[in-house]
Amino acid sequence: MSSKTIEVEHLSKAYGSTAAIEDVHFSVDAGEIIGFLGPNGAGKTTTMRILAGYLPATSGTVKIAGYDVHRHSMEVRRRIGYLPEVPPLYPDMSVKQYLYFVSKIKGIRAGDRRRQVYNAMVRCQLIERENTVIRQLSKGYRQRVGIAQAIVHEPPVIILDEPTVGLDPRQIIEVRNLIKSLAREHTIILSTHILPEASMICDRVIIINQGKVVTTNTPQDLQGQLEISSGYEIELSGNLEIVLPLLKAIPGVTNTILDNNLSIEDTQRHMLRVTCKSTTEPGKDIAALIVRQGLELHELRRTRPSLEDVFLELTTEEPLSVYNQ
Amino acid sequence: MIVSNIIAIAQKELQSYFASPLAYVLAAIFWFFSGFFFVEILIGKQGLIQQVALKEQTEIVLSSVDVATEFLNAYSAILGTLSLLIIPILSMGLYAEEKKQGTIELLATSPLNNWVVALGKLIGVTLLFIFMLLPSLFYEAITFSAAEPPIPPVLPLLAHLGLVMMAVALLSIGMFISSLTTSNLVAAILTFSIILFLWIIDLMANNIGGWLGNSLEHISLLESYNNLVRGIINTSDFVLFFSYIFIGLFLTSQSIELFRLNHQ
Repeated sequence: MSSKTIEVEHLSKAYGSTAAIEDVHFSVDAGEIIGFLGPNGAGKTTTMRILAGYLPATSGTVKIAGYDVHRHSMEVRRRIGYLPEVPPLYPDMSVKQYLYFVSKIKGIRAGDRRRQVYNAMVRCQLIERENTVIRQLSKGYRQRVGIAQAIVHEPPVIILDEPTVGLDPRQIIEVRNLIKSLAREHTIILSTHILPEASMICDRVIIINQGKVVTTNTPQDLQGQLEISSGYEIELSGNLEIVLPLLKAIPGVTNTILDNNLSIEDTQRHMLRVTCKSTTEPGKDIAALIVRQGLELHELRRTRPSLEDVFLELTTEEPLSVYNQ
Repeated sequence: MIVSNIIAIAQKELQSYFASPLAYVLAAIFWFFSGFFFVEILIGKQGLIQQVALKEQTEIVLSSVDVATEFLNAYSAILGTLSLLIIPILSMGLYAEEKKQGTIELLATSPLNNWVVALGKLIGVTLLFIFMLLPSLFYEAITFSAAEPPIPPVLPLLAHLGLVMMAVALLSIGMFISSLTTSNLVAAILTFSIILFLWIIDLMANNIGGWLGNSLEHISLLESYNNLVRGIINTSDFVLFFSYIFIGLFLTSQSIELFRLNHQ
């Protein structure tokens, strides 16, 4: 038996002839928070479902706490908490009734139910709503009930499928804090399509695209990847010959790309991409330089790296082709 | 462990019935009609007591009429028919609702076997059905206590047992149908069609006779119900009831397994 809490090897799942995921493999240490990052339709939910033992895989193996998800299904189910994409709630039950029901079917001993349900409610800040019928709860509260459901039996492994999707910004922060507070005691694997979220909460980020693992990174590495696409988009007119080398000399600027395809209508106008380290903000120096050199500045816009940019950088040879939109 | 899981599921099922207006509406309708027919059959204008009184007046009573037994037969037939009408509505949401709300993912990833969930649900809905039958049992208790000659109390109890057995058999099939769809309405319509089909089989069994009629009689739930109403206890009737129940449970477990296999 190895020390890895989750071991996924050569995992594939096909629906008919279409492959949802292909040859996915990774492993997770005890106490880690792993982010599963990818655009919609990348195979995140499929992977989460296979991990939770809900979907059988077409091929490959998943071991959780040393047990094969398929062959020792019941052993695995006792050891995981799972929040599906849509929280599996019974709208007619009160929060407390619901959590009691879950605690029963998860096999918590009768004597421990009261305490564990109470703990889960405290953890998820549901105490003041314990007698509210779930139907009447806001989306943020429902999500918390969903998480409470996943932790009520104190499982070593928690699987959360898009835990912050559809929440408002304040609720997102609350849910993220909640997840962070669960770390260490539990091994957590969560899926998301929001890059900053993954780099904020997770120890490691697994990027998945079109059913395949593109890369496994720490958030710091990811940050490095991002620097390439962090920068400014500038629309300006005038002679660029002199400006370009000077721009490159500004501290923090890493590269300039002239996008001639986008020199629209007026041939004097240019679209210029300036990339810079994500930690620096050389915007005012760039603007000052352009103005000082007597060029006309029409637009200067800060661009933040998007998940799509990272994907393109990781999956294609021409990292900056994304700007030719 | 398994038993407590079954109880937990059954409890949850009952809870959800009583949290929605559906159970109350159904119970109200069922109680209204079962009460109405009770009164009609017993003391209505065409009722049994009236018929006996007429016969006695015209003094052409050749043999004494056992009102209690005749009433039990007639009323049990009515209760059976009413039950056939409400069973599809009781069973329609058992799985369709779980699939629609996504709670099937909770059940399927909890340490429960499919058949444990199915059995729990069947027990839950059966308890609701028994609850709906209670008033009619109460009416019968009052009436039969006044019967002359007295009717053995085991007879109405057997009739109700038969009704419950028939209902569980059909609810089990209805539960399977419910596990095939995410729509309550589709589940109810399909289950009702199957019940109608079984009804037709029963009619055919009674009419065509011969070896075919005979064998159809053996798979007719209504026939087995009638046997119990008449106070006849056959092992084969119970084997039939339990076969239906078992087939429903088995198919439900399999269909949920298949649903998971293909869930996108």
